[in-house]
Amino acid sequence: MLTMKNVTKVFRTEMVETHALRELTLEVKSGEFVAVTGPSGSGKTTFLNIAGLLDDFTGGEYRLDGVEVRQLGDRARSKLRNEKIGFVFQSFNLIPDLNLFDNVDVPLRYRGFTRGERRQRIERALERVGLASRIRHFPAELSGGQQQRVAIARAIAGDPKLLLADEPTGNLDSQMAREVMQLLEELNAGGTVVVIVTHDPEIAARAQRNVHIVDGVASHLDRGPALVSPALRTA
Amino acid sequence: MDFLPILSTLRRHRTAATLVVLEIALTCAIVSNAVFLIRERLARMDTPSGVVEEELVRVRLIGIGQTADAAALTAQDLVALRAIPGVKSVASTNQVPFGNSGWNSSVSSIPDDVSGSTTASLYMGTQDLLETWGVRLIAGRDFTPEEYVDADAKDAKVSSAIVTRALAERLFPGQSPLGRTLYLGSDPETIVGVIDELARPNDRNGPESAAYSMVLPLSISYTTGGTYLIRVEPGRGGEVLAAVDATLTKVAANRIFTHLESLTEVRDSYFRKDRSMAYLLIGVSLALLIITALGIVGLASFWVQQRTRQIGIRRALGASRGDILRYFLLENFILATMGIVVGMGLAYALNHWLMDAYAVPRLPATVLPIGAVALWLLGQLAVLAPALRAARISPAIATRSV
Repeated sequence: MLTMKNVTKVFRTEMVETHALRELTLEVKSGEFVAVTGPSGSGKTTFLNIAGLLDDFTGGEYRLDGVEVRQLGDRARSKLRNEKIGFVFQSFNLIPDLNLFDNVDVPLRYRGFTRGERRQRIERALERVGLASRIRHFPAELSGGQQQRVAIARAIAGDPKLLLADEPTGNLDSQMAREVMQLLEELNAGGTVVVIVTHDPEIAARAQRNVHIVDGVASHLDRGPALVSPALRTA
Repeated sequence: MDFLPILSTLRRHRTAATLVVLEIALTCAIVSNAVFLIRERLARMDTPSGVVEEELVRVRLIGIGQTADAAALTAQDLVALRAIPGVKSVASTNQVPFGNSGWNSSVSSIPDDVSGSTTASLYMGTQDLLETWGVRLIAGRDFTPEEYVDADAKDAKVSSAIVTRALAERLFPGQSPLGRTLYLGSDPETIVGVIDELARPNDRNGPESAAYSMVLPLSISYTTGGTYLIRVEPGRGGEVLAAVDATLTKVAANRIFTHLESLTEVRDSYFRKDRSMAYLLIGVSLALLIITALGIVGLASFWVQQRTRQIGIRRALGASRGDILRYFLLENFILATMGIVVGMGLAYALNHWLMDAYAVPRLPATVLPIGAVALWLLGQLAVLAPALRAARISPAIATRSV
């Protein structure tokens, strides 16, 4: 699904050159649930930005679902991002001026679905996250956990193959976090590849595989059962 | 199309959106009326005189003291002027088109018509007047030498007249005016010729009668008419005018020349106020359009800055740079359309008030679509730079911490 070979990312200013990713090689296969961990400043977000086609990389190769992304122009990258990837962000990133229906509708409009199909997908996605009754509400009228569920609905409404989650439970209390993780696991069980970026070892422990990034260098780890918090495991 | 979500967003930013809509509406109302008034002024300035202005110069003069035989002196003057190199033709007359002061008379197709008469400008002059003007005779003939009467003679009366097409149509609608009789009060004149156009010296009798002129074969002396009209070879007006003073002074010294000028200068002077008003209105309109454009740039820039993260989120969710550009252009189009719709109503209200207060004509419906297109284009141009800035926002903004 996602193959990176020797991917590097260098941020350059006039004075300084920062290597955010160094020769990162990673493969995520269909059906996997992978957690990317690491301390702050390790390169996790840079990895997520590149994996999500949100940012360019400096060197190496990256194939997403068989497509080499390096040479793609803005239009093709945006299309690929829209069709293949669903995003869940730490701060939800809902558009405050739009109600839930319109928020979930945003990526679907760029996809070019018909009005009827969009409506169907929006209702189904919101029903999936348990918020169908709040369809005309605005984000400010929801709790943090509900907002994140809307973000998940928005991410899955287009049936992406890959779900990229950036600290999805970072702004939630433990109960809400548990619900969100459960949703992500259900999606993964349905065949969606989930890559979750987190610095929380308890969240990482729920993934099938961990990739640990330190100073832009990745090491691949199996999940350690001892890291799984009893609270999360019983959820 | 993001039409409905944009409307939803605008509803939530009602104050800023309303201010821009009002700004566009006021600009639409004022500029539509201003453009209309400018067009009116420009059309007025383009009024054809019917004479070959670029070949004509006029000399206005006043005699000092009593002149024993004004007619004889006028004849000598005309001979002397005709001899100036570059002069094609000369006539003594009482007035010129756009000369401002003019002679008028009520005229009718029936004698002593009190209620149905119209007002026409009365041109009179020596032989060669029509040739000097270079007017186009479209029917009938010029006056014969026998028809000319000395205007200074006691009880001078003429029996023929040449009228403009507009006056002929006014007096004898749908009929040939040749051989018909018109009346200046109770004095009958037979129409012997029709000229295409001859503008009045002024339009103080109203624009509808601005083309009502007639010519009488009254040989007028310089002491009565005060004007010599000289037709020159193209490009020699300055040279001829420079020679006029010395030439006429040689004939008789006791005269003062009040005006030595070309007819294009006469026209320029006559329409000076219209030109000033047109420039003023153009200036005000441009200033308003610039202020509106700056308002749109300001608001769009503010919204782009305010929505930087939102734009990044949209980009992350699949919007291309083109989608973001189109979003802001469409948003501006919606605001401009609202402003134009309100502005059209205001434009008609303003026009209605101007009609009542200053008797300006009704705003033609064609002005509004032109104004609307201009404001749409202005809006799109004004929002382009902020929209391009928005389109350059990286989707990676979405993953940055708040």
